[in-house]
Amino acid sequence: MSTKFLIHFAQIHTDFRIAELESLARLNGINVDLHKGSPDLSSPYLVVELQSIDEAKKLIERSILVKEICEYWAEGKTYEELFEKIKQNPERNMLYKKDSFKFNVDVFGGSNTEEEKLRKINNFSFLPFKGPIDLKKPNQEFMVYENYGDVDSPGGRSSEPKVIYFGRRIASSSRYEMIKKFTLKQRKYLGTTSMDAELSLVMANQALARPGTLMYDPFVGTGSMMLTCAEFGSYTMGSDIDGRQIRGTAGYRKGINGIKANIDQYKLSHRILGNVVFDICQNPWRAMDLYKDSGWIDLIVTDPPYGVRAGAKKLGRRNGTVEDYSFKIVDGVENHKRKDYYPPTVAYEMEDVVVDLLEFAAKMLVVRGRLVYWIPTVTEEYQLDDIPIHPALELVANSEQPFGSWSRRLITMEKIREWSEADSKVYNTNPADSENSSRCTSSTSLSGLPNNKPSPAHRNFRARYFSKFIRQDSPATPADAGN
Amino acid sequence: MLQCHAKGCDDPAKNFPLEISDFTKEEIEAEKNKDFLVRMLPKLEWNALYTTAVKLGITGLPETLPSDAETNDEFLSALHTVLLEVHIKEGKMTCNGCNHVYPIKDGVPNMLLAEHEI
Repeated sequence: MSTKFLIHFAQIHTDFRIAELESLARLNGINVDLHKGSPDLSSPYLVVELQSIDEAKKLIERSILVKEICEYWAEGKTYEELFEKIKQNPERNMLYKKDSFKFNVDVFGGSNTEEEKLRKINNFSFLPFKGPIDLKKPNQEFMVYENYGDVDSPGGRSSEPKVIYFGRRIASSSRYEMIKKFTLKQRKYLGTTSMDAELSLVMANQALARPGTLMYDPFVGTGSMMLTCAEFGSYTMGSDIDGRQIRGTAGYRKGINGIKANIDQYKLSHRILGNVVFDICQNPWRAMDLYKDSGWIDLIVTDPPYGVRAGAKKLGRRNGTVEDYSFKIVDGVENHKRKDYYPPTVAYEMEDVVVDLLEFAAKMLVVRGRLVYWIPTVTEEYQLDDIPIHPALELVANSEQPFGSWSRRLITMEKIREWSEADSKVYNTNPADSENSSRCTSSTSLSGLPNNKPSPAHRNFRARYFSKFIRQDSPATPADAGN
Repeated sequence: MLQCHAKGCDDPAKNFPLEISDFTKEEIEAEKNKDFLVRMLPKLEWNALYTTAVKLGITGLPETLPSDAETNDEFLSALHTVLLEVHIKEGKMTCNGCNHVYPIKDGVPNMLLAEHEI
């Protein structure tokens, strides 16, 4: 028999909350319908049905976007209605007759003075609780949630609660402790693009990071996600074309030992395996050839460079010849043999980065392994089919973090079957793209947008970001600004 | 798990394993997970792992993969050390195919290719 529970979310990143809980349900083998009556994201409360208190605890234990979960007792539009419903279950009320207890009033969209809260709590005195009140370590904690609605709620904010929930607190999530632990404010080594603690943790949940799994970030940067995935039990490793980011030998916060400083700070060296410098386009993974069908990585979690704060780069030559660069004699030796030789790089367009990433994931992930990554989109033009697809990968979640004229979306995909050579015949990128493409492999476009999709909302994102997202077909659009 | 990926260096018998030399190593304790090791077993090229371990002065791995590898705790413990605990702090990895030297600095291998190798 199922029991009703009330989930109290933090009212932030609302488009991520159902996806996060679905991932955690999957991780714990819990069957739960989180879409019943299409959840209202403007409310921080959600009623769900679960099989047991144990399931409720497990479901939210690792959650970052849930605050706590309660055993649901009743709800009402008024306190009178709420009290009537609570009184209809006298057997349950009697269960807590002897326990020490505490009441909390939590208000969304409105406010209560301490006196008002106390008065409201006292109105629950009809309950048969005879145990002592204990504000510090009560046996039972009862929650009163008043929802006044918010500006974006249906009907807006109101002066009286629209709905009042009552429940018995079961468990708190790890939200508070985890965000506190990983906050960038306390982190030793940071870069300009370090992912914030909250979303790094949500990403680890989306990817089902857990003990005994292998996590890889091909754009590791300063390593935010390798930390949070390791916190949840995965062995983690990363790579980046820019070794200075990994080692922390240039720019911001120079000389504090790079990612290693963070590994030591969070005491995660027992799960973080290491980092390597290379271009993901020219990667040395032996498994890329050997195990491209069955894969060997359990989760790929990454924030690919958008080209806004940090432009994506790949190895290559913009102009000149090989002789000019590699074989030129510098200080008596061939250039490429010098100790501080750094090969030339060229721009790597966001659109190409993402398509290459999908192809890489389709090969390297194990079946049921997950790819979790960010993609920026122009709000006005975004359509669902802008999100690149691959026949071996299934879209699990697409959560939006809006910034007005643009958004970034956290995409979660799952490998549903082994990679196959035949995938190339099913999907193609737009043929018009191939001329100017900066993709790793131009010959076989195995993944990409659905056929004939003219222009995804993340194309030339950097240029459009700096031109304030004036429509591409508008005569005012500056040609290729910012490149 | 890393092979030489320079253009034209595609003889699988030569571009792997990379030969480690001039190294300093350290051991960092890693969390034990037997299931993980067992799952990795079919992905390992045993001879390459064995010869590299010997070169690094690590004894304890058998020359051939034991038939009871999945249940042999002593073996799995040795494998755990080699795969997850031994880190090369400084050193060189040289390709036996094209002689490209990949340096390891501060525990981070630099696998970038020169421009004529891509």
